[in-house]
Amino acid sequence: MPAETVSARTLAAKAVQQVVQEGRSLSQCLPALLAQAAPIDRSLTQELAYGVLRWHARLQQQLQQLLSHPLKAKDQDIGCLLLVGLYQLIHTAIPPHAAVHATVEAVRATGKRWAVPLANAVLRAYQRRQTELEARADAQPTSRYAHPDWLIEMLRADWPQDWQAILTANNERPPFVLRVNTRQGEVASYRAALQAEGMQNTTLSVAEQALRLDQPVAVERLPGFADGAVSVQDAAAQLAAQLLDVHAGMRVLDACAAPGGKTSHILERSPELAELVAVEIDPARVPRIEQNLQRLGLSAQIIIGDASRPDSWWDGRQFERILLDAPCSATGVIRRHPDIKSLRRTADLEDLTVTQSDLLDAMWPLLAPGGMLLYATCSVLRRENEQQIERFLQRHPDAQEAELRVAWVVDWGRQVSHGRQILPGAAGGDMDMDGFYYASLIKRCEDS
Amino acid sequence: MAKLEILHFPDPRLRTRALPVPVVDAAIRQLIDDMFETMYAAPGIGLAATQIDFHQRLLVVDVSEEKDQPLVFINPEILLRDGVEEMEEGCLSVPGIYDKVQRAERIKVRALDRDGQTFELEADGLLAVCIQHEIDHLDGKLFVDYLSNLKRQRIRKKLEKARRQGEPDPVAEHGETAL
Repeated sequence: MPAETVSARTLAAKAVQQVVQEGRSLSQCLPALLAQAAPIDRSLTQELAYGVLRWHARLQQQLQQLLSHPLKAKDQDIGCLLLVGLYQLIHTAIPPHAAVHATVEAVRATGKRWAVPLANAVLRAYQRRQTELEARADAQPTSRYAHPDWLIEMLRADWPQDWQAILTANNERPPFVLRVNTRQGEVASYRAALQAEGMQNTTLSVAEQALRLDQPVAVERLPGFADGAVSVQDAAAQLAAQLLDVHAGMRVLDACAAPGGKTSHILERSPELAELVAVEIDPARVPRIEQNLQRLGLSAQIIIGDASRPDSWWDGRQFERILLDAPCSATGVIRRHPDIKSLRRTADLEDLTVTQSDLLDAMWPLLAPGGMLLYATCSVLRRENEQQIERFLQRHPDAQEAELRVAWVVDWGRQVSHGRQILPGAAGGDMDMDGFYYASLIKRCEDS
Repeated sequence: MAKLEILHFPDPRLRTRALPVPVVDAAIRQLIDDMFETMYAAPGIGLAATQIDFHQRLLVVDVSEEKDQPLVFINPEILLRDGVEEMEEGCLSVPGIYDKVQRAERIKVRALDRDGQTFELEADGLLAVCIQHEIDHLDGKLFVDYLSNLKRQRIRKKLEKARRQGEPDPVAEHGETAL
């Protein structure tokens, strides 16, 4: 007999509530909730939670208009269930009567009987007034783009030509991109293995080990996944190991390593490294690095430490390459993590830009003369990217920017005043990558 | 330990009548461990050997909230039944389907434990329902057999359709990302 399970609507609403009210991220709260779902309901639960958060600002605006007076703070569970209900009606192929019925049942299961007629009324009123409500939602930027106002304004200021395309791309479903572990086999042969399983895929000219699947699948179904044949990683993130341009015998530092995706990619590409040191500040995230390395059959020296305070862990030997994949607003990966729109605050940005410049300054002395520090973020905000590098270059006269070359592709992303910026999805062209930023900094040799 | 595959209705192997376990040896104990792992992962509160395509009279149960009260029943017999109870049941072999079934409210069971020792147990509530449900499996019987023909046919079609579509995963685990 199965353990008692909780309905997909109830669990999705709980996930939304934990994100919006408690400020937890989906990746923190969803696993425990999915464990309470019947296996057959897990993918629906996930789809509903991601979907509601993707459209949260818009759905919330529509819900306000359907309620005669706002719900009390203690009834936000009902509010979240109503958002789940609206999302199903607007964005899924679930037949409307089934969407309404299942949502009303989930409302009944809360024990708040007064809310049952309310849920029926709200969802049926949406069906009646759909055209009008959708038109009204389109009339205001927050609901139209389903982003917080401050972020819309910031993107408009940073990208006067592209901000609408960025906002639109952030609300699309992300592509499912794999990284073939070329220590185990050629990209071409893994492609064939996927095709033999009926998983259609395409190569990407810019990322050498990347394959984009036409349809997402559960990772366990990928051939050889458990044995480390392949990882899941967006093409934009795969550029890090390529741009870092490591060679045999080098000592390499990955300064903010968790969950170890880029760490393992560097090792997959360059088996002959003298050493790869992976530093991670959060002990709770270290097991993820270890699991990833172990699955892929790789090893690195992992240090739990704060990269901005190297005196507590550095042995004094400089590195020829440093990858600084800095903590950032993650505004480039909103399509993968729609909860960012609810979680991020403008105040975070000030803290993040300080952290980023502290990290850059702290890493610089660890770089050997002639060596390269690759600065990376998954942000599309100029203050975290080119402006950060601009200020860094002013502070460090021995730093010099280098050209960013990947494979034989000359023009990728977008040349900005310093470094290159990839805009997300269709906003960045037909490569359909996550939003990412890279800058390559070379330390001048003293005699030059 | 290994997770085992659970057979799904309408697989004809679920209709096999299981034979008694001849001897409780290391191989049976290994199977018991694997069955617990499979049951907990499902997640489930009971699993009969029939469901993992092993046709001897053996079942595992844990109805506790904390998943810390594993019970093993080898060659179980129901000695007494008392009262009637109706409960909503589901089944790991009939995923996603739940319906009301009437069973005895209280039962007394005799069985062998994982060391081959005989024990007797009186159970009521969910535990009683679960043991009866799992013993049915050993006799090739499923909870949908208690439902009307019409309902059973509908369930069969629904599960066959779900199987053909291979349960697509709309937002599959994206795993590694840049965060």
